[in-house]
Amino acid sequence: MGGARSGLVAWCFLAPALVLLVLFAFWPVLWGGYLAFTEYKIITPPTWVGLRNFEDLLDDPVFFISLRNSLVYLLIVPAIQLAALALAVLVNNRLPGIRLFRAVFYMPVVTSVSVVGIMWGWMYSDQGLINAVLQWMRLIDEPIGWLSDDRIALFALMFVTFWRGLGWYMVMYLAALQAIPGEIEEAARLDGAGAWRRFWKITMPMILPTVLLCSVLSTLGAVKVLEEVLIMTKGGPISSTYTGLYYAYDQGIRAFHFPRALAASLVVSAICVLIAVLNFRLLRPRQP
Amino acid sequence: MRGCHALFAGALALLLAAAATASEPVHIEFWTMSLKPKFTQYFEALVQRYQAQTPGVELEWVDVPWDVLQTKLTAAIAGGSAPALAQMNVPWAYDYARDGAIRPVDELMGAARSAYTEGALQDVTFLGHVYGFPHYNSVNVLTYNRALFAQAGIDHAPATFLEQLAIAKRIKQRTGQAGFSPALGKIAGVFLEEGLPLIEGGRAVFNSPRHVAFLSELADAYKAGGLLKDKLFSEDNFPASIDAYKAGRLAMMVAPPAALLRVRDDAPDVYAVSDVAPAPVGAAGVVAGGWLFHFAMPRGIQGRQAQEAARFALYLTNAENQLAFSRLAGTFPTAKAAIEDPYFQNMRAGTDVFSKAVATGASRMASVRTLYVAGIPGFEQLNKRLQDAVEGAVIGRRDTQEALDAAAAYWNRRLGAP
Repeated sequence: MGGARSGLVAWCFLAPALVLLVLFAFWPVLWGGYLAFTEYKIITPPTWVGLRNFEDLLDDPVFFISLRNSLVYLLIVPAIQLAALALAVLVNNRLPGIRLFRAVFYMPVVTSVSVVGIMWGWMYSDQGLINAVLQWMRLIDEPIGWLSDDRIALFALMFVTFWRGLGWYMVMYLAALQAIPGEIEEAARLDGAGAWRRFWKITMPMILPTVLLCSVLSTLGAVKVLEEVLIMTKGGPISSTYTGLYYAYDQGIRAFHFPRALAASLVVSAICVLIAVLNFRLLRPRQP
Repeated sequence: MRGCHALFAGALALLLAAAATASEPVHIEFWTMSLKPKFTQYFEALVQRYQAQTPGVELEWVDVPWDVLQTKLTAAIAGGSAPALAQMNVPWAYDYARDGAIRPVDELMGAARSAYTEGALQDVTFLGHVYGFPHYNSVNVLTYNRALFAQAGIDHAPATFLEQLAIAKRIKQRTGQAGFSPALGKIAGVFLEEGLPLIEGGRAVFNSPRHVAFLSELADAYKAGGLLKDKLFSEDNFPASIDAYKAGRLAMMVAPPAALLRVRDDAPDVYAVSDVAPAPVGAAGVVAGGWLFHFAMPRGIQGRQAQEAARFALYLTNAENQLAFSRLAGTFPTAKAAIEDPYFQNMRAGTDVFSKAVATGASRMASVRTLYVAGIPGFEQLNKRLQDAVEGAVIGRRDTQEALDAAAAYWNRRLGAP
């Protein structure tokens, strides 16, 4: 009886959050999933068309470019994780002014993505800072089209994502590093273990859950990248910076083809789930 | 006798109810596109004037940023809460009319249609019906930097697009600056202006020798540095274009006269050496830059509300109000009487570059039309393929003929062309 009552109380506490989740997360997902199989223009009722929207995606080369770019974007995951971990180890030291360094590295995270996009857009432009410095150093004669050359534009965007995300993961690793009990490190040091050995035998195993979390988050973030593309290149030049989610956005918000946008979103979601599962399988800490 | 009493009481009740309905103020909500805060005073004064002279009508002005207007309006129409009038451009109106989301206004406009220019009325006529009350229009003029022209040894403004390309190359060669920035992000419109068709007999024909030759000229100018590379293929390359012009890095700018006000305010030194000429006209004979804004009436606006909304729309777009708006905004009216107003005549006599630009634009209003592609199913996806092919060809990444052939084959397959 007591169990049933406490269960009821628990449900009562959960209810507000659950209602909001159902209304603003589950229902839109289910309704959107249904609309992906329809022809729908908002002002007319949806009509079932089966897999036609998915067939349309398969017939659109830009969709494949988008998926390929989303996968290429994954290259920043190891880079950002390694750099964030290295940075966290560095700022974990008790040095004068270290708080300032931590704040500086975290600043891009709290800066609005619009500001970041506009700022990097200027820096990358033909008359921008990067080209000016390179020309001043006589490393180049003509400005490099960082965002207008289809061969390098995607990598230029990836660098911005890297720059934006570095501070966030650094803080997460820093928190994990500071949670390691000092006495374990101390004991290892007394036993004669060097810094390298202590890192691999003590630090890494103890922060592995954080590595898993950060990897999953940065992988999903890379697959779902949208803002940088939207603000800086709008998918150009020659569709070379389209990503999966930007494709969905472009189809829905610009071209007003919501069913195709939703079909693309479903494909991107499926890829996200697949990658998350792979991440968990590969990085899950194993029981001794 | 009792029956007579009941009949009388019923008739009286109906009469009172009808009188009450008639005396209830009609609420007219109208949406404009990105006109706040610059035109707040204009619209507030206009609303006040109209309400004072039209008792029984309650106006509500809502200004919506252009990038969310379509989404908000579509949702409002679907939800049955649409405004009585919504300002929009012609391509949006075409889509809404095709989907039955806005209603024809021929009958509501009545004899007043003769007050508007024929071109404006044609722009808002779809499926044989007029779908909007024309408001303001735009027309491009060619603004050029006289100093850069003199430095390059050029003594006249170009009359055609191809001549403009040739001048752009020469300017780059002689001055080191770019010539101009064509709207290559809207290549379908550029083709149409140049009289180069996209589709004929249900088949894509933009891979013809004429199209290839035209793109080859563009590629040549790009390679020579004659075209401004910043945002060249963006859907809207105007911001990059005007920034470069103001900085003296661009010799020519094809834009509405209002752009000159920004040059005057932000770069007076460049304004001082600027001059204007008619924008080059393509083979289609249509003056570039026509982009009509009008007020459309969403479906579901009926009866007295529709009549009052139409009366207000006619007031909002009458010659007097259009002229006042044009003077403020630097745009062009679509009411015939406003175009013929001495304001534009006096502009012709002015020596200031902006006045000259307005006069130049006004003199060409008769041949201004809003150019857009309509009636091609799935056009966005098809256009993307064409756009990518053109970009690849112009920047020299792909062979022009091959790129256009591949895009045309894609179009024909999607269109089920014969």
